[in-house]
Amino acid sequence: MPAADNIRNFCIIAHIDHGKSTLADRMLMGTGAMDERTKKEQKLDSMDLERERGITIKAAAVSVEHTYNGKLYELNFIDTPGHVDFHYEVSRALAACEGAILVVDATQGVEAQTVANLYKAVDADLELIPVINKIDLPSAEPDKRAMQVEEVLGLDAADCVMTSAKTGVGVPELLDAICERFPPPKGEPDAPLQALIFDAKYDDYRGVIVYFRVVNGHFKKGDRILMMGAKRTYQVTELGKFKPDMHPTPEPFEAGDVGYMVAAIKSLEDVNVGDTITLDTARCDKPLPGYQEPQPMVYCDFYPSGDTQFDELRDAIARLHVNDASFTYEPSNSEALGSGFRCGFLGMLHMDIIQERLEREGDVSIVQTAPTVTYEVVITGKGGVKQTIQITNPSELPDMGQVREIREPIVAAEIITPTTSIGDIMKLCENRRGIYKSQKFLADDRQILEYDLPLAEIIYDFFDKLKSITSGYGTMDYHVTGFKADNLVKMDVLVNGSPVEALSLIVHRTKAEFRGRHLLKRLKEQIDRHLFEIPLQAAIGGKIIARETIKSVGKNVTAKCYGGDVTRKRKLLEKQKKGKERMKRVGTVDIPQEAFMSVLDTGE
Amino acid sequence: MNLPINRTTPEHIGPTDPKQDTGNAPNPEAQNPQARSAPGGFQGLYLHLPFCFHKCHYCDFYSVVPAKEPARTNGNAENAPDIQDAFTAALCAELRRWVVSLQDQGEPLAPATVFAGGGTPTFLKPSCWKTLLHDLHGHRVLQHVDEFTVEANPETVTPALMDMLVDGGVNRVSIGAQSFDRGSLKALERWHDPDNVPRAVELCRNAGLDNVSLDLIFAIPGQTLDMLNRDLERLLELQPEHLSIYGLTYEPQTALTARLRVGQVQRVDEDTERAMYDHVMTRLDAAGYEQYELSNWARRDPTRDLRCRHNLGYWQNHNWLGLGPAAASHRDGQRWRNAPNLPRYVSGSPNPPRVDEETLPPPLRFGEQLMLGLRTSAGVERAWIDAALEPGDARNAYLEEVIALGLLEKTESHLRLTRQGRFVADTILARLL
Repeated sequence: MPAADNIRNFCIIAHIDHGKSTLADRMLMGTGAMDERTKKEQKLDSMDLERERGITIKAAAVSVEHTYNGKLYELNFIDTPGHVDFHYEVSRALAACEGAILVVDATQGVEAQTVANLYKAVDADLELIPVINKIDLPSAEPDKRAMQVEEVLGLDAADCVMTSAKTGVGVPELLDAICERFPPPKGEPDAPLQALIFDAKYDDYRGVIVYFRVVNGHFKKGDRILMMGAKRTYQVTELGKFKPDMHPTPEPFEAGDVGYMVAAIKSLEDVNVGDTITLDTARCDKPLPGYQEPQPMVYCDFYPSGDTQFDELRDAIARLHVNDASFTYEPSNSEALGSGFRCGFLGMLHMDIIQERLEREGDVSIVQTAPTVTYEVVITGKGGVKQTIQITNPSELPDMGQVREIREPIVAAEIITPTTSIGDIMKLCENRRGIYKSQKFLADDRQILEYDLPLAEIIYDFFDKLKSITSGYGTMDYHVTGFKADNLVKMDVLVNGSPVEALSLIVHRTKAEFRGRHLLKRLKEQIDRHLFEIPLQAAIGGKIIARETIKSVGKNVTAKCYGGDVTRKRKLLEKQKKGKERMKRVGTVDIPQEAFMSVLDTGE
Repeated sequence: MNLPINRTTPEHIGPTDPKQDTGNAPNPEAQNPQARSAPGGFQGLYLHLPFCFHKCHYCDFYSVVPAKEPARTNGNAENAPDIQDAFTAALCAELRRWVVSLQDQGEPLAPATVFAGGGTPTFLKPSCWKTLLHDLHGHRVLQHVDEFTVEANPETVTPALMDMLVDGGVNRVSIGAQSFDRGSLKALERWHDPDNVPRAVELCRNAGLDNVSLDLIFAIPGQTLDMLNRDLERLLELQPEHLSIYGLTYEPQTALTARLRVGQVQRVDEDTERAMYDHVMTRLDAAGYEQYELSNWARRDPTRDLRCRHNLGYWQNHNWLGLGPAAASHRDGQRWRNAPNLPRYVSGSPNPPRVDEETLPPPLRFGEQLMLGLRTSAGVERAWIDAALEPGDARNAYLEEVIALGLLEKTESHLRLTRQGRFVADTILARLL
């Protein structure tokens, strides 16, 4: 292995779709780690879903070699997720690096996540190389974008490397710049071992593959290690590098090295990104800073539907959790929907991905309830003592008589929008109870807006609204900053006289009537007419604030059914029956999946 | 041609007592979906005569509009062999094949009912009818037939044809009146003159027919309750023995459905359609007709059972044999259909290609029999349902739920739709399959 002086650990950060993964591929080809023959587009994104959605879900790390000025360098590059839901994973990937390549699309320029990721890289004390990518496109304006990088991000325009990941132009220059400008890793090779876990993947044959960066000390195959946060010890059975395939390395890994570890770890549940690895026999004093338990912010319930049984759903979730521990789950019970699971996610995209993977890989069919955020509820507990509890479901809300206040998560959001849309975006934010923080001009007719917004107000359609207002040009980034009390109430929905928990929601008091009326209207559209009339009601603490009625079926009868019609008519009825089976039966009412999601529709 | 045919009422079909509750079938055996002939025996024979002079826009039955051949316009029509002759030859060949093969199986083809549908059976050339009737008699197929129905279009009924049909054993005619309102007929793309309906009925009477059925359609685009009422009154003036009254169905792959999709026609709203069906039931009951099936009414007659026994066979899941292109057959749970394609029917003679062959597993047969049996006013036997459903089956609870809603009811022996239940039969059934 090259000496630490010739190692460069860096990551690539970018706004989504700015060509990060393609650039990574091109760099693999530029260093000979991958050629046209073995090239599978976006090599670093290995999950099918990633490729389908064109986004990077799990970070990947690859070691390649590059000769610069007659010296051989080892470049370890760490591909990071580009979506807001995966902030924490990004921050851990950054902590494993000394440098960051900041990719900016030559046609689109600086976007919200470019800014957010830059701040994170600066926070992590990384050296930066700005890259203007996609310069091959006819609409590319590389010089203008370089100026924007200087004006908006404060990086020297002259430092920008111009590339086209598609054609390979500029990639050799970029590799040289990495060797020249990024500092070598620091660290004490003789100190007690401290290695940062910045990612982990599950392999069916080998168990968990842990991605690490040695910060101080050294270790080798056969050592007994301790994961300090998880407090678990393992025997290291293999250490190696991704080149880009797994490549076992017999030599010890020293301060500055990046690689993977296999240690007969059975489940991803046992490994936490951000945790510190040390030697069990020669422990370091304290773990590396920055470790956090994953904090789910969005929760929803999964219930089995159709032919799927509870046991099948449970097994599918457990299986998925073994190789994706980023979500949480626990059994839940709903009077209306039966037995299922309450699951926690980093965000909405994360939730969608997990649901899809469950249905696809676990072959189960799921009814998903509307996602809600975590609330902090201050209650008067036993003996009048003030107590704070966390709830992830409106149905967990204690009796309102006990409740002193309800606090909801607040995010700091940065929105980049064309100046022409600024009024509409501000209106949108204000409608969602946003608090204005600041407004800054970016170059060329764009502005950056900062708002504090309740997370609950943006988890569903905020991003879609933002995109539609700005004709697709608006971008957003956010992070949760804390909890804040507000005038929040629980609204119940009664279907045919019975409350359906999965439809209840916590809303701001001033919006309750509007949301209630809108929700019932949506339910009326989505629930089929039944054999009987179905009253729908929205209520706050027993007081009805809105009502609707679904009329009973008027006429639904096959007029003609003679000999030649039997088979076809039976099949038609079977189709109707199948449709009903996909729904969830609540009492005697069949409610389709979409209805549970209509809770989220704000009606704007 | 005056061939002998048994026109007496066989003992197993008893007369209807008009004072009896319509739901209590005069003949439980005939109402029980389980009651079937000995395996293999066909109780019904269906003949599909596919020719029409025009394709009506709501109709999804298989039909062919013959090209106007030069031979037909130069006066030689009856002599030149055409597609109708080729079809008739193929139909007779298929009949012969079945007669022979059933004979070999020791179950001669000896149905109790024959039904000639279409298409427009009365559009088939008289010479073809002559051949067909000759063969039916020649093979002794009609020996035990006590009901022989032919569907007729009001325009194509002629005295000569009627005489020939009656002589050939036909004792029941079903005339597609559909509506008496010119606007409604136009909406359906029916091109007969409504005044031809009474004329057709009269021709039937003159030919000696004492069992005439009329078809009517309601919920036609543009139709109001008043218009339907006028149609009903005109229909009743003709004193038919039997009535089939259908809510218009938008069948897939019909011109009408295509026009509905592009917004050229407007569906009658559900509430009006319900009111129409309600009115039909009330009015016909008052006029002395018994609703024995969701869309079928028979005049109450102390001396005769005027229900269509051939069609009852469908709802009671009897065995029947269908001949002709697109004709469906059923034999002990096995269903099949001749391919709906006249050239292939003719070229494949006497073994036309089949489609939609299926033998349902018992759980699906349950739903099918329920779907059919609940159409009849008698309903289905409770003992049969109890035997088919496990005690833990969720459908038991659902049945009780629907009974509690007053849409199904139990008689001593049967489960049947109530009057309210008839409006929503499909919604009920969709859970019971």
